[in-house]
Amino acid sequence: MLKRKSLVLILVVLLTISLITACGQKTEAPAPKEEVKSEPVKAKDITLIVPNSPGKGMDTYARMIAPYIEKHYPGAKIIVKNIVGAGGVVGTNQLWHSKPDGLTFAFTSFPSVLLADLSEAEGVQFKATEFTYLGRAATEPRVFAVGGKSEFNTIEDLAKAGRPIKFPSQGMDEDFFAAAVMAKALGFQLNQITGYEGNADTALAVIKGEGDGHITALSDALPMIKAGDKKPILMFSPERVKDFPDVPTALEITSGEAQDFMKVLTNMIVAHRCFFGPPGMDPEVTTEFRAAITKALADPELLEKAAKANSEIVPMDGDKLQATVDEIAASAQKIIGPMKQALADIK
Amino acid sequence: MLTASWHGLLALFDPTSILFMSIGVLFGVVIGILPGLGGIAAMALILPFSLSLEPVAALAMLLGAHVATIFGSSITSILFNIPGASKSIALCFDGYPMTQRGEGARALGAAAMASLIGGLIGAIFLTLTLPIMKAIMMALGPPEYFIMALWGLSVIAIFSSGSLLKGLTAAGFGLLLSFVGMDPVSGTARFTFGSLFLLDGFDFAVVVIGLFAVSEMIKLYITGGSIVKAQTTSEMGSVWIGVRDVFIHWKLVVRSSLLGLFIGALPGVGASIGGIAAYGMAAQTSKNKETFGTGNVEGVIAPEATNAANEGGGLVPTLGFGIPGGESMAILLSAFIVMGITPGRDMLENHMDIVFSIVWIIVVANVITTIGGLLLAKHLVKVTTLPSSVLIPVLLPICLVGAYAIKGRIKDVIVVVVFGIIGYIMDKYKYSRADMAIGMVLGLMLERYMHISIKLYGNLFFLTRPVTLILFLVVLGTIFYPFIRGYIANKRNADESGVQ
Repeated sequence: MLKRKSLVLILVVLLTISLITACGQKTEAPAPKEEVKSEPVKAKDITLIVPNSPGKGMDTYARMIAPYIEKHYPGAKIIVKNIVGAGGVVGTNQLWHSKPDGLTFAFTSFPSVLLADLSEAEGVQFKATEFTYLGRAATEPRVFAVGGKSEFNTIEDLAKAGRPIKFPSQGMDEDFFAAAVMAKALGFQLNQITGYEGNADTALAVIKGEGDGHITALSDALPMIKAGDKKPILMFSPERVKDFPDVPTALEITSGEAQDFMKVLTNMIVAHRCFFGPPGMDPEVTTEFRAAITKALADPELLEKAAKANSEIVPMDGDKLQATVDEIAASAQKIIGPMKQALADIK
Repeated sequence: MLTASWHGLLALFDPTSILFMSIGVLFGVVIGILPGLGGIAAMALILPFSLSLEPVAALAMLLGAHVATIFGSSITSILFNIPGASKSIALCFDGYPMTQRGEGARALGAAAMASLIGGLIGAIFLTLTLPIMKAIMMALGPPEYFIMALWGLSVIAIFSSGSLLKGLTAAGFGLLLSFVGMDPVSGTARFTFGSLFLLDGFDFAVVVIGLFAVSEMIKLYITGGSIVKAQTTSEMGSVWIGVRDVFIHWKLVVRSSLLGLFIGALPGVGASIGGIAAYGMAAQTSKNKETFGTGNVEGVIAPEATNAANEGGGLVPTLGFGIPGGESMAILLSAFIVMGITPGRDMLENHMDIVFSIVWIIVVANVITTIGGLLLAKHLVKVTTLPSSVLIPVLLPICLVGAYAIKGRIKDVIVVVVFGIIGYIMDKYKYSRADMAIGMVLGLMLERYMHISIKLYGNLFFLTRPVTLILFLVVLGTIFYPFIRGYIANKRNADESGVQ
């Protein structure tokens, strides 16, 4: 009988562990805060919505930065909440409907939010440019790379190929639209092969020569470029990248309507990983919040931690970010046409 | 080469490395036991603790946790029909019937030993064949993945012995379910009825917990008694019988391990398919084909060996190009970067000792897990003799919490219950749940790679690419061989009787 009791005990322990794991989904505590705060300002619980899966890049950034916002925002206690689903739409919808009282904000990739809105993706209830933008944590150039053994060496070569360029892609993300517009502007035929599972799969397809080229974050492609497995032929960034002075940017080689598109795209990439709140936030709270984020992103302790984790911090103040977004809002209508065209081409 | 291997081993036999590996293994077994959570969750949870360690100790802890989850998930698959991770689903097919027969310890023993040998063979062949594996990986692409998925579907014939029509119905239902959500090719929403929850599709791990575990609880509640229906002789003896089984079927172990290594080396072919493919291969080549699905120990050995060897295979694209061979390898990759190691050519040329350390870690972690598993098996099996009135109240919440823990969505708990009821009904009316699971896991892969292949190589891609054509013929051969063999045997019998 005693044995049976101990067995039951083991099962109960297991159950407890699983409960803890499940709860860990949400309450995984950020690093302990420093104790004594000089004055007990109005304590408030602030929810940080991360519409991406726990443990992935965006989530890692959010959880790394959150404790530092707490540190520089008196009285704030930030709870990171992963609300996943429909490629980030579920979490972003939730932010759109939350009260603009400064107690809820979000952190994710600006391009995905904007494109979900512009392409009228399933279930979108928000207007991407109407959120209150609070600050950017990081951005990095994106690169159009071809395989190391590819016959192409410059972006102009693609037009001379005399055959459709095979472009493996994951689906309707910013890279997909960028490639479609680029092909129109430079006059090369494009065969977008959608359906690859992720960035690793498209990278491998390009290295193997199954596809001609793909667009990815520069940091992802860098080791492969160094090893000679990939060749960069175009950058999506406001200026040429220091390490690759010979590789032109998308803005340089386009003109007219295509350049308008590339401007929006480049701005989108500039805004990349950012914090934003619901539309119509109180100006005073917004200023306070932006200042806290700016201070947090300049904290030397955070910068050291980020450098160690290879998650670089490239901050931009909330005001400046808001201006960038407003610029995008003014010209966003122009890119809807090319986007719809690109979508129609693959269906 | 040999000196590098030796240095790699020496670096591992540092007390701290062994200590952290043991911690990792222990943690991995526990995570593996929890339904739905597998190697990915284990590595993601333990990653923050490993970053401050020495590279070898950190890798030992991470990989130790990852390797141990395989056996951890097999334990619950075999004893309770609860797949601890979606890749151990094939263990339920024969492992659980063995437990019901009172041979749970034998199944656990066989699984532990198969895991050990599979891991060893995987690691050894990985070392020997790293350059060749890289070439194979480069040669195969989406058209070949498509053919492999097609071959996987042929496994449904095994579970359809009662009625082929019922088997096909179940598999069709599984395929249909896999299409719920966003179409991977054009981004169109399918069968979602405007629900954002359904837009992400059904999570395979969640459905499987419902289909196998929850439905089993319902059945147990209705029939009463305990999981074990008949008790066999001395249990400790049974563990060793299981170990012996592995050596009796050593050819099967070698074949399954190589299959696992091969599948692991192909990014884009998921680990859940590895176990199912190994199971199908075992059934098609076995002498006792008809006992598969009713508790044949070969059905436990093959998927377990494949899963263990799979890990080594996953290292090929990770080490060779710095491209993760799966989600768990993506976590390993981020750990590398923090340590200042760049996977890819640089690693293969300048950090060969670390490469060998990794291979050795897999070997040693497997040994630790197996020894622990063999010693524990005797005690674990006793749990299955508990009456249902004790088991159900404990196991059912674990299943529900597990379903929630996978993505942290409460609606997944509803999904798990609904599929529990569906699973119970299917089982009652003899529609194979295994067929449904196979249809579901292969559906997206078939669809994805068929579309990509057509776009890359045209509509007749399976005829125009030589490698694809050969594979396609092999698949056709394995599907029709039993029929042809049966036909010839019949004819010969008819001829002989005609002569007489």
